[in-house]
Amino acid sequence: MKETDENIENQFGSHKKGQPFRVPEDYFETFADRLMVRIEEEEQPNKKRSLFFYLKPALMMAASFAFVMLLVYVPIKKFFPATGKAYLAAQKLNIDSVDSASVVPVTLISYFSESQFMSAVTDMTEFEPDSISNDDLADFIAANYSDYDVIANN
Amino acid sequence: MDLNEKELIANLKSDGNREKAFKVLVKTYQVRLYWHIRKIVMNHDDADDILQNVYVKVWKNVDSFREDSSLFTWLFRIATNESLSFLQQQRRHSIVSMNEISEYLAESLESDVYFDGDEIQKKLQLAIVQLPEKQRIVFNMKYFDEMKYEEMSEILTTSVGALKASFHFAVKKIEEFLKEDRK
Repeated sequence: MKETDENIENQFGSHKKGQPFRVPEDYFETFADRLMVRIEEEEQPNKKRSLFFYLKPALMMAASFAFVMLLVYVPIKKFFPATGKAYLAAQKLNIDSVDSASVVPVTLISYFSESQFMSAVTDMTEFEPDSISNDDLADFIAANYSDYDVIANN
Repeated sequence: MDLNEKELIANLKSDGNREKAFKVLVKTYQVRLYWHIRKIVMNHDDADDILQNVYVKVWKNVDSFREDSSLFTWLFRIATNESLSFLQQQRRHSIVSMNEISEYLAESLESDVYFDGDEIQKKLQLAIVQLPEKQRIVFNMKYFDEMKYEEMSEILTTSVGALKASFHFAVKKIEEFLKEDRK
């Protein structure tokens, strides 16, 4: 077999077994790292979509709604505390005499129909406006109204 | 199989040391495997893809390595099979016939920006790509890598006699090709 090797070598003179190919710079130095990245990618399990993924839009909408409620309710409570009290006092005296369109909380919290909000407020016998927290309000809304009601009445 | 290789295999099969041992394996054989693949598929990008595939297969299947051959033999066998599968895929996708695969490889060689050889070396490579796949692999392993027939026999699962015959025919064809080229 050496003879056959030599036959070919004779035809190529000194070139013989020189490697005519080359590789990009630092190819072998970086190969192991690139390979490990690929293996890590291949080993990551296919991400299954969780229930949260499907509920995310509804939750986002609910969170946005709660945020808007806070933006509206907190400033009203802070800057116009008397307005709310006066309004509620008037409700106790004579609910029929109240011009609902002129009452600030009802017009500002305009997500509900007037009749819905009025009936909800008057149902509360021992109502103290200062004791209402943001969470109470959010709970009340969540218990009595669907997202659809809120959007539809908006 | 020497002690170091046994230790390496044991580490490859243990969860704790696997990644470290795998990096050692990659560093040890990457150059030889790359050139083995490159000489079959010619093009650097293809060789890079195939080399990665080889090591990914090793990573996934190292637990099933039965150790009845050396790591070197096992890796070279996977590399050879992957390279041949790649050429078969090329043939299937581009409806290239058996003869036309030589043309495909010759074109790959001509357009390869990582081919640094001079005209004479290019002629030899063009002669080599005219060979049938098996003869080409045998010729490269024997002529360029100077591998022993016994080693080649294990990797290619072919008898030594058949390999010698393949190499003999390969050399004759290359000589003929070069003579024709000179006319």
